[in-house]
Amino acid sequence: MCSHSSSSNNSHDGARCEKGPSRRAILAAGGVAAVGLTGLGLARQAWLPSAEVFIARQQRYDGPLMQTIRDGLIACEVQPSWFQGKRVLLKPNLVEPTRQIPHMTTHPAVILAAAEVFRDWGAAVCVGEAPGHVRDTEMALIESGVGESLRDGGLFFADLNYEQIGSRHNLGRRSTLKEIYFPRSVLEADFVVSLPKMKTHHWVGMTCSMKNFYGVLPGIKYGWPKNVLHHHGIPQTVVDINATLPRKLAIVDAIDCMEGDGPIMGSVKSMGLILVGRNLPAVDATVARIMGLEPSRVSYLNLAADWLGPIDDRRISQRGESWQAVASPFEMLDTELLRPLRASNASSLIKYR
Amino acid sequence: MNTTQLLAQLESTDQWAYHANGPTASEPAAWACMALSFYGKHDAAEKIANWLVHIQQPSGAIGITEDESTPTWPTSLAILAWLSVVSHESAHGKAQFHQSIHRAIRWSLDMHGKASPQKSHIGHDTTIVGWSWAADTHSWLEPTCFHVIALKAAGQAEHPRVLEGLRLIIDRILPTGGSNYGNTQVLGQTLLPHIQPTGLSMLALSDTSAEDQRIELSLQYLANSMQQEQSTYSIVPTASLCFGLLGLTAHRRRPAAANTWLQTAYEQVNQQQPSIYKLSLLALAAREDGMFES
Repeated sequence: MCSHSSSSNNSHDGARCEKGPSRRAILAAGGVAAVGLTGLGLARQAWLPSAEVFIARQQRYDGPLMQTIRDGLIACEVQPSWFQGKRVLLKPNLVEPTRQIPHMTTHPAVILAAAEVFRDWGAAVCVGEAPGHVRDTEMALIESGVGESLRDGGLFFADLNYEQIGSRHNLGRRSTLKEIYFPRSVLEADFVVSLPKMKTHHWVGMTCSMKNFYGVLPGIKYGWPKNVLHHHGIPQTVVDINATLPRKLAIVDAIDCMEGDGPIMGSVKSMGLILVGRNLPAVDATVARIMGLEPSRVSYLNLAADWLGPIDDRRISQRGESWQAVASPFEMLDTELLRPLRASNASSLIKYR
Repeated sequence: MNTTQLLAQLESTDQWAYHANGPTASEPAAWACMALSFYGKHDAAEKIANWLVHIQQPSGAIGITEDESTPTWPTSLAILAWLSVVSHESAHGKAQFHQSIHRAIRWSLDMHGKASPQKSHIGHDTTIVGWSWAADTHSWLEPTCFHVIALKAAGQAEHPRVLEGLRLIIDRILPTGGSNYGNTQVLGQTLLPHIQPTGLSMLALSDTSAEDQRIELSLQYLANSMQQEQSTYSIVPTASLCFGLLGLTAHRRRPAAANTWLQTAYEQVNQQQPSIYKLSLLALAAREDGMFES
């Protein structure tokens, strides 16, 4: 488990995923309910969540990433004081690392930069992952280069595949799973920060901050791969895990990304981006737009929309760059599942044998 | 490698965990039991074997920990642990172990991974039935290997379930050799091999009459990739090293440098609070005649 300097369990809503309705909005909604369908539509708009997403361009792994991430968090109205004495778990994507395909996994420089930001803000930080395809976590740390970087950075690594586990009621209930089992480091964290790689995914179109949380579930319980989740539906279980986890943030490694046959065997696509947000559906919807996908057609985003967060562009406030300025359609596999996810014909389809 | 010191470390704990300060779990307990038993530390091995009897469920299954009764894939490893204990005369007549083995075998033979109709975009044969990590999910490579190894050791080598399990293990070898968690090709793309599942599958396929060119390719993959790991990185991935050596040794292809590699890994493990899981695997991989040779 992570070693932490604080065991404070005080909660606040600083990083809850959506901005919920204000009392004013509720009263307003009640007031207009009597005046007909137009009023109801307005009330629904007032009720629906909104969120900020920060995009930085021209980013490099040897650049000032700490500054970028700090700026991004503050642009998304994150308060540094929230983290004083708190436990922050950083969750990179180390699904099946190999030195041959470095664009499959979160780059160590992004992990270290994020860790330094939260440490500067007074948090006890550890990095945790339950690699989905490899039982030897030590091998995953070596192949990804993350183990060496964590040692150099004095960061503790929590092997989430083999920790003590505890269950939580499934608050999402989009799948039939009644409970979800989490490792101790996740259960004890005040904030869980998703540090995904921006990638295509050959079954669900894309993987980013929400799907990355598959990797907080322990393999000892769910298997290698976490086939229990697949059998309960990938979109449904992605949403369930996100609904059940406590306070979350997202910092996306979109510098060297993966297109084509992601999430393992795709090709590198250099984008030079870092995205930051407090609301994970909003972050992933923005990533989808940048990749040339229509977020409402990505099944897990569609399930999460207007509940865990906004995916409608009108309710996502872009900070830093606009997504339109950095959009560059990703190559997708030409399959019946993926073809309809494209926002336009701009992204090319590649045949598979 | 100083096996005397290593065994003393294994004997000195009641916390059989994957990581130092982690919770006791069935898998590391079973490997520790086998290691102690094979090196003649019968009292310590029996203590663990008794703990496994204690957590065995009425169905015969063993959960992942004492508190978590599911999933039950470690049942296979408990069979191996109990077999290692009863192979010595001091425990040979102890009925509780024989009863536990019998119940666990019966449970294992009843358990099936889910098969599904063959799909064009999946490379492996999804109709072959092996064992799964968790109930009501697909058959995967590593739990199938664990059960095949255990049931063969228990005298069930000709059982149809074991023969089908062997067929699954061969089916999941990549075209150019080596295995991963159990997917060979997806959407026309051949996936990546890894040392640990390849070593485990080679261990499961030892002493069988299986003939497939990919077995030889897998042994070559293991030897080459382990050599490369050792020469490229300063840190040794201990579990992968051990499973790789167990697989190669079972096919009488143990690398000449194996003991040097193990020594390096042992020193590395001892630089931190040691993991019982890793120490146990190191002890088993250090046996130059193979894991099951007495």
